[in-house]
This record gives sequence, C-alpha cells and structure tokens, in this order.
Amino acid sequence: MSPIAKTGPVADPSAGAATAPRRAGRLALRLALTVGYRLVMLTVLLALVFAAVELLPGDAAGAASERGESAAGIAERRQLLGLDRPLWERFGEWMTALPTGDLGTSARGQRVTELLVDPLPNTLVLAVSAFVLTLLLSLLLGCWTAARPGRLADRLVSHASTAAFAVPEFVVAALLLLLLSLWTGWLPAVTVTGGDGRPASWTMLIMPVLALVVPQTGWNTRVVRGALADRAADPHVEAAHFDGLPVSRILLRHQLPGAAPAIATGIATSTGLLFGGAVVVETLFNYPGVGAVLAGAVAARDTPLIAGVVICAGGVISLVLLAADLVRHVTLGGRA
Amino acid sequence: MTAALSSAAHRPAHRARTTALLVLAAAPVLLALAGPLLAPHTVDTPVTAPFASAGDGGALGGDQLGRDVLSRVLHGGTLLIASALLIAVVVTLAATLIGCAAVLRPALGRAVERSADVAILLPPLLGIMLIALAWPGGGRWAVVAAAVVLGTPYAIRVVAAAASPLTTAGYVEAALARGESASYIALREILPNLRATVLALFGLRFVEAVYVISMAGFLQIGPRPPASDWSLMVRENASGILLNPWAVLAPSLAIALLALTVNLVTLLLAPDSTAKAVARS
Repeated sequence: MSPIAKTGPVADPSAGAATAPRRAGRLALRLALTVGYRLVMLTVLLALVFAAVELLPGDAAGAASERGESAAGIAERRQLLGLDRPLWERFGEWMTALPTGDLGTSARGQRVTELLVDPLPNTLVLAVSAFVLTLLLSLLLGCWTAARPGRLADRLVSHASTAAFAVPEFVVAALLLLLLSLWTGWLPAVTVTGGDGRPASWTMLIMPVLALVVPQTGWNTRVVRGALADRAADPHVEAAHFDGLPVSRILLRHQLPGAAPAIATGIATSTGLLFGGAVVVETLFNYPGVGAVLAGAVAARDTPLIAGVVICAGGVISLVLLAADLVRHVTLGGRA
Repeated sequence: MTAALSSAAHRPAHRARTTALLVLAAAPVLLALAGPLLAPHTVDTPVTAPFASAGDGGALGGDQLGRDVLSRVLHGGTLLIASALLIAVVVTLAATLIGCAAVLRPALGRAVERSADVAILLPPLLGIMLIALAWPGGGRWAVVAAAVVLGTPYAIRVVAAAASPLTTAGYVEAALARGESASYIALREILPNLRATVLALFGLRFVEAVYVISMAGFLQIGPRPPASDWSLMVRENASGILLNPWAVLAPSLAIALLALTVNLVTLLLAPDSTAKAVARS
C-alpha cells in the first residue's frame, strides 16, 4: 500500500484534465448513492417507529382515556383518531404526510407539529452549540496531545477524557449546578423563559451546554487522538518526520487530512447520545425544549408525540451522518 | 537481550497492576451491592425534616420527604448494577455469537451492517422511551429489553470487525478445508482468539448500560418514585439542592464513581490496541 499512497497524489496532476470530469462524475454518483442509502435507513427507522407505536399494547385512544371512560367512549375516540382503519393504510398515509411536515396527532388530539414547533428550535440551539464546542475542543485537545505522544499531558488528557465520557450528563449538570450556581453564584440555576418562548438570557445556556460538552468532548477527544495515532505510522508522515518538518506542520498538513474521515464518522455517531443528553439536561435546568415536551409525553403515555420527536431526531442525525459521508468522500476522492 | 530482561521484569509488575485495577473496579460495585446491609435507617420512613442539612438526623441529611439520604444512597445502586450487569451479559453474549457467525456468512454480515446503520439514527434514550411506553407496566424489564435491542447491533459490528481478519488465518482456512461446520469454526476457532475484544466489550457495555439506565431513571422510566434509586434521587431532590446539597451530590457522585472506575479499568486493562493486536495476528 505504501508506494501507491505515496505516488497517488503526485501522479494525479500529470494525469491531465480529461479525467477530472469523470472523477467529479464518480464522486457525484457516490454521493447520490450515499444520500439514497441514508434515506432508505431513515425510512426503515420510521417503519419501526410506526410498528412500535401501532403494534405494541397501549394505543393512543386507550392511553388518553385510562381514567374510567366507557368502552363505547374509547371506540369513539379510536374512530376519531382513525385507529380503526387497516394498518398498512394508516402507515401509507402517515409516511406520505411526513414530508409535508405533518407528524400526526398526539394522544390528546393535538397536532404533533404544533407541539414541537416552539421547543424543537430551542433544543437545536442547545445541541448545536454543544456540538460545535465539542468539535473545537476535541480537535484542539486531540491535536495538542498527538503532538506530544506518551508525555504527561497526553496521558492526563487520555485518562480525563476516558473518565468524562462515562458520566451521565445529568450528573455533570448537577455538579456544575452546585459549583457554578449555588456555591459561587456566577450563573442562574434555572432557565427563565422569556415572552417569546426562548430562554430570557444567553447566560442560561452556559451550564446546559457545558453539561453536554464535558462527556461529549471526553468521547470525541479519544476519537480524534486515536485517528491521529493511526495515521502517525503512515509512510508519508514518517518521511515528513525524517525530513525534519516541524511537528505542528506534519500534524495539520499530513496527519489530520488522513484522519478526517475517521474523525468525522466518530463524531457523527455520537450525535444520538448528544440528543439524549440534551433531553435530560433540559429537564434538570427547566430549559424550554423538547425535554419538557417529552417528560410530559412520558407522564401522559403519549406515544405518537414521542414518535414525532424520534422522527425529528432521526432526520437531524441522518443529516449529520451525511455530512460525515461527504467529508469521507471528498477526502478520499474517487479512491475508496 | 535487554528487551527480554525488561519484559521478564515487567510481567510481575504488570500482574500486580492488573489485580490492583480489578480491585479498584470491584470496590464500588461491591459497596453498592452490600450497601443495603450497612444502611442505618429504612428507605421509606421519614427520620428527619424534609431537606434537613447533613448531620441533622442523618449523616447526609434528609431528602424531599425527610428520609435518610445515606440509607437511600446505600440502597439505591443494587438494582441499577444488577440490571446493568444483565444488559452487559446479554448484549456481549449475543454480539459475540452473532458477530462470529456474521464473518462466516456474508449475507448475515450485511444485515448486521444495515441494522447498525438504522439503530444509529435512534438516540438510545428515545428508543427506551418508545419501548417503555409501548410496554406499560414493564418497568425495569422494559428498560433492560430496550437497552439490549438498541445496543446489540453496534456491539455485533465491533465483534465482527475484530473477527473478520481471523477468517483468513491459517487455522480457520485449515478448518474450512477439513469441512468443519460454520458453528464449529465460529465457536472453536474464532471465538477463543477474541477473548480480549469480548472482555473489553463487556466492560464498555456495562458502562453504557449504567449510563442508559440512569438516564432513563432520571426521566422516571423504570424505577418508580417510592423506590430508592440514584438517578431518581437526583431528580427528586434537585428542587431542594440549596437546602441539602448532599441529597443531590451523594447519588450523583455514586453514579459518577461507578461509571468512572469501571470505564477507566476496562480501558486500562484492554486499551484500543487490543482490537488491533487481534487484527494483526
């Protein structure tokens, strides 16, 4: 593999302009196939969610009327919610309605989309800030430790990140709450919602975001550090070391590009945990996001509402995975 | 020669370190399991004022109903650890068997890849909510079932990745040439060479299970309010964090300590290089 890896990029420019459109075409085809694959996977998830909502005991009509409603009342509600029609018919209807933004009806008869339209952006603000901060921090820590392998800083960061990713977000949140709010009084302990349904002040975002960032950074620093270590043994990286290039330059110009696909995939796969963490952290800080809706849905046994959140989360995660696929295809070009 | 000497000198030290690490990992687990025997009070009767501060009727004060925080913390880990162990055992067993079979049967291998790609789209916590709600009255069993269903596809992928290089190993090819059955090769030829991977997988699955169960418990899925459970305690006592910080701090630290020690020890005993070492042989 080593001679190919070394001569590959050098040989490319001399190959001429004729192959460039073909290469771009191949890349486009590959991307289209990836998008198609992710879409199919998302559809399978949706089918599973639908099955979980429909086939397992406890449907929406029964859940909304547990408190002593007559059998006739439940039957009427079933008809109202359309639960008496065949399964495949409802699945087809549900699936075709999804692209128009219609997520179905909650157990209490409200539109799921209406229930989520305010809290979902708040949760996305929280999750995206945490994601960006995690990305920056883990890249920084990963590169910084990869530049000094085996030294004290490397080992300390390695142990600290290992310790951090195992701790549930609400535990981190509780400790932060004690430290930054109750004992020092630096930050507000609960999120106060303003008139527009958003947190009243950006300082109320700091602790929830930090509670998400600590475990996430622990995991992703390990991913970055591991991916960089895998590339450290590559022939062109070793050659660069023998040529006496500065360590930082080797790291950024030679190791990082090769490690990018592994890093992108690793970080993308942790978005599901980030979303789950956001839900829990929101509950603790009384943040006006999806967490509050979900907590209410759990109490009310409102499965369609939870399915709606699962669909939104699945869509967002699919997009992040697609972005990681894009990074992989662009880095590897037409080669992989 | 120096290398041989240093590795010989290294071995007893290595064994001592391994033992020390295992003791370190076992300590919080044993403490949590023996906790109920050490508790000074019962978990369900108030012994002091609600959110009484530490030392006032109980070593760590009272919770939101005035029950003894220390006793509840000592009681609160047993079921958490038991369910986490159950999840880790089932997931590791299933993943190991299916993973070994998947590398011998490409069709199964592709199915595993697809199912992992679907499972990654569902945040574990939301999956648990769906299953726990669709199975009313399931309680802890619903959480265990959900964690097993959602965690297995990824674990199979890990085992299959470690096992796939072994399919070209000489002894596997020899067994194939002898005409041995797929199950014989999976269990007798491939599995014994995956011990390090399987042990590391078990440790990480345990940590993951503790994480998932306590996150679900915090959202009141699984343990029900009168029960003493660490994650539930954090949730219930958060409102009185100013009056008695220990009511939140003690269960938080208990979860953190459990997750942290098991995780650190697992990764120190079986670092990332295990999988690669298996892959190279």
